[in-house]
Amino acid sequence: MGLSNLSRSLILEYVFAFVLRVWLYNSEFKTTIIGRVEVSTPVNSWKRVTEGVVLQKDGVNPYSGDMFHESPVGLAIYSQLIEYASPYLPGIFILLDLITGHLLYLTAVEYMKHLMRRQEEDKAEFSEDVKDLLLSQKDVERQPLYVVAAYLFNPYILFNTVAQTTTVFSNICLAASFLFMAKGNRWGSCVTISFATLQSLYPIVLIVPAAICVGYHTLPIKKPQKLTKARAIAPVKLDIYQKMLPKSLRSVNSTHWITSMATTIGLFFVMLTSLLFLSCHLSGGWEFLHSVYGFMLLVPDLRPNIGLFWYFFTEMFEHFRLLYLWAFQMNALVLYLLPLSLRTRRDPILLAASLTGITAMFKSYPSLGDVGFYLSLLPMWAHIFPCKKFFLSFFSLNLLVLFNKEKNSVADLQQGFIVLAAFIITSVLGPTVWHLWIYARSANANFYFGVGLAFAIAQIFLITDILLSYTKREFILRHGTSTLLHGKHGKLVLA
Amino acid sequence: MPVLLDPPEGCRRPTYLMVKHHRKLEMLMYLLGLVWFFALPSDNVSSASYFSENSLLPGLVKGGFVEDSFAKTLLASLQDEISANPTKMPYPWLLAQFRQIGLDTYTHNFTLNYPLASDLAFEGQNVYGILRAPRGSSTEAIVLSVPFRGSKSVHPSTAAGVALMLAIAKFCRRQKYWAKDLIFLITDHEQLGAQAWLEAYHQTSSGSHAVLNSGDLLSRGGAIQAAVNLELLSDRISHIDVKIEGLNGQLPNLDLVNLVHMLCNKEGVHHTFHNRANYGDGQYKVDPYKSWAYSLQTMLEMVFAQASGVPNGNHGLFHRFGIEAVTLTGYRKVDRGSPATFYQVGRVLEGILRSLNNLLERFHQSYFFYLLSATDRYISIGIYIPAVGLMASTLLLRALAVWRSLQLPSLQSDKAKLLRAQEISNSFASVGLTVLAAHALGVLLLRVPVWSALYLNVGADSSFAVVIGLLSFTAVTICLPSLMSMRQDSLLLLYVIGLIELATVLLAVSLHNFPLAILCSIVYVPFALFANGGRLRILRIVCWLLLQPLLLVAIMIFTYTSIYFPDDVILSKAVHAFKEALTFSYVDYAVYGNWMLSVGATFLFPTWFVLWVVVLKTL
Repeated sequence: MGLSNLSRSLILEYVFAFVLRVWLYNSEFKTTIIGRVEVSTPVNSWKRVTEGVVLQKDGVNPYSGDMFHESPVGLAIYSQLIEYASPYLPGIFILLDLITGHLLYLTAVEYMKHLMRRQEEDKAEFSEDVKDLLLSQKDVERQPLYVVAAYLFNPYILFNTVAQTTTVFSNICLAASFLFMAKGNRWGSCVTISFATLQSLYPIVLIVPAAICVGYHTLPIKKPQKLTKARAIAPVKLDIYQKMLPKSLRSVNSTHWITSMATTIGLFFVMLTSLLFLSCHLSGGWEFLHSVYGFMLLVPDLRPNIGLFWYFFTEMFEHFRLLYLWAFQMNALVLYLLPLSLRTRRDPILLAASLTGITAMFKSYPSLGDVGFYLSLLPMWAHIFPCKKFFLSFFSLNLLVLFNKEKNSVADLQQGFIVLAAFIITSVLGPTVWHLWIYARSANANFYFGVGLAFAIAQIFLITDILLSYTKREFILRHGTSTLLHGKHGKLVLA
Repeated sequence: MPVLLDPPEGCRRPTYLMVKHHRKLEMLMYLLGLVWFFALPSDNVSSASYFSENSLLPGLVKGGFVEDSFAKTLLASLQDEISANPTKMPYPWLLAQFRQIGLDTYTHNFTLNYPLASDLAFEGQNVYGILRAPRGSSTEAIVLSVPFRGSKSVHPSTAAGVALMLAIAKFCRRQKYWAKDLIFLITDHEQLGAQAWLEAYHQTSSGSHAVLNSGDLLSRGGAIQAAVNLELLSDRISHIDVKIEGLNGQLPNLDLVNLVHMLCNKEGVHHTFHNRANYGDGQYKVDPYKSWAYSLQTMLEMVFAQASGVPNGNHGLFHRFGIEAVTLTGYRKVDRGSPATFYQVGRVLEGILRSLNNLLERFHQSYFFYLLSATDRYISIGIYIPAVGLMASTLLLRALAVWRSLQLPSLQSDKAKLLRAQEISNSFASVGLTVLAAHALGVLLLRVPVWSALYLNVGADSSFAVVIGLLSFTAVTICLPSLMSMRQDSLLLLYVIGLIELATVLLAVSLHNFPLAILCSIVYVPFALFANGGRLRILRIVCWLLLQPLLLVAIMIFTYTSIYFPDDVILSKAVHAFKEALTFSYVDYAVYGNWMLSVGATFLFPTWFVLWVVVLKTL
């Protein structure tokens, strides 16, 4: 009964999401949404894509101007779409979006299975009083549904689809790479991540979690048929899974890890390079490198968006530009990569989601489509917040609905309310101050950037909270909920 | 960021205390917001105004306007024209005068298709003349406009303004220093003409589709930098009142307002704000309390004018197009003493035009968001916004407290927990649907006036149909919650959502129209907090019912009528005023793009409805 119920609600979600998108496509809001700077940025707007396609058709190199910033492979696909399927474009975008939703659903199912399996294996390790904290069968069934709902009915994603941004394409690549990661498929994740990287550069960081995922899945002792023997070789597994010592990666299987990760990363770079050569072949030169990746890295277009770059770089003295470019890009790309990879190496999907979130926040031309994508991944960790949490459950902002059994509150989402209120308020105030700035001409850039900053802070709170709750839960699972230390109440401090 | 780290008990304490004492804190914050607002006009809070834009200052040099006797002659001639033809604007005369002065002269036709009737159209015609800048290339322009009123108009005649404008045009024609085009505009049908002309000038439409057909202009000047709207009601002026409040509460740049006051000061013209001179002008010592009370009243006049969102002069329509504009209304001198004459007012206008002519950039300095407590004292956005911020924060604090209470695990047995979890997950759907339904109703509400006017046959008067339609819609929505069944804890969640939405609406409105936001906060915040009390259920219901936006408008109009017309037939007058108010709000929405109705219908009403469900269903 459960299954039929599940599939029924899943189908209902798809149908409803489809109807909603069709309605929005035909409504008067469509032109407004397309024009919003929060949705369409220079790197993802469909208007620029059509421009590029026309230029190419006329025999002008689209990369010689300052208009077009999509990859040549993307251009080839889009020009085919525009050539042969332009009346069906809305339908194609909607379909791609629904497929993305379904890929995320499959990812969540796979990931939940994985979590459940790991929980079963590790149960012996757990403290006595954490029974309430464990993942239940119900979570496993429900959380994928939340994921797909959080994706399909996320207003940010809706806007993104209706505006026909190319973020729809990068989201489907990302969703597929998450699925392959969850399945531990080396080839699949390398292909999808290299496509996503080709399009928007920043997903390059995902290769690290992907390599870890693949590493886990190719661990020799993790073959399912040996499950009965799992107990016997438990000590080895403990070294890899449970001990938080950095040594664990260098234990018996260090050769495995080194070869596996090196293979994955090597394969990824081979693929990326071949895609770049393909791009070069398609566009007839390497000019695209500067026009696509140079554009993202050097940030020459300072049109306002929801990110943090434009304001700083308009205000800055020109001779500091390079310094801050390095600082900002490192912040988006590599700064958190190593520490987060070490900390969450035992849950690479969480690592991947946090990295996606961080790049969506800090990249040079972020759009709501990026934000919506990582937000919709978050329900996969609903079980981390054990007390029933109406974290961000709002129909207009139905990011996720986090609640399940009433368990002892150990790792609740402390900033949940702040994040919820901040998301709602900034989403309303953003367009308001934009109107005052651009149309009424009475406010100015500071107002809009102020709101953007608040939006970014809310996102930072959200991601920090999720990571924190994850760490805390992992600790408590092993050490119990009691915080008594030498007879006194101790404190958990993140060191 | 310590708040983000694992909170040991000690660190959680502030939040815990905040939630524990939230009622006291809310009351404190609300009162603080109220005190803050009322403290604003005090001299210790407000600041003396000053010029930010130095390029405006050269206009303050000695004026050269000497065409006052020409203006007098024109006025006499124009009054003859008006009395000869009391209903129509004397176009031939105006066009002849413009041409004689040597301006490029044009007329502009527009049509209004009345939005609340299927086949009712009004026509009008504006007249304008352009003085091409001798020292520029027609890239920028300044507008001097006068609304023309025939002798049948309900408003006092502005013939003196037209005469003075023509005299100034004649004077300006002979000067060589103009770097911006001067556009002299005479508008028909009050604000409608100004709106149509602006829409035609910018080739855009602000209101609903095909309501105001603004046509096209035969000729344009440059981008309009500023506009001055002149309403001289006589040639003997007692004082000039500077009107600033525009459509949707938008204000002109404070520099322009300061400039006008400064020039009036210089030319010795008595000048006021909301017909109130400054307190204790020329006195050596002033009583600080009386001074505060006087300034407060001036500020409140501005607050009410701005909160209405309806412009109090034609200047208010320019703001939307990024044009800084003010109206100068010169009132007739009735008592003894020497009046200001065409000579002085002409020099004030000359000074304004010359200052504006000297602008190098668009107005961008000084303030766009301010309150005035006197002609020369202002309160900037940084000072006043905390008042509304405090009010909105009380709502958020309550939402936080309720949210926390939702999360406190109270049930013990496993079975009860499981059951509860099931119930809660089911309740999400009902909460989401209620919020969705509330907004759908809001969108519907926006359509009710025009539907009822077009399809409801209750006699010839369409405004009566509008009232009937709106009232019946209101009645239906008031009864609607009784069809719903809500669980108590989903009501709490609904309450949280309602509070957050109300806070969001107040904050968003406060950026556009602070007075509206603060007035709404003062009225709605305490009752929104009261909505979820323990006892006094009936009182809660009655209070929140009276705050239904439409009923609130009705109550306000009734109170207003009974105060200002105490001995009249109050009820019929109030009903009439109510009818007019509703019709006008829709017409303003459809013609000028006034967002009062749309915000009220699509944001305030749904929030009210969500909280109404909470109030009604909470036991």
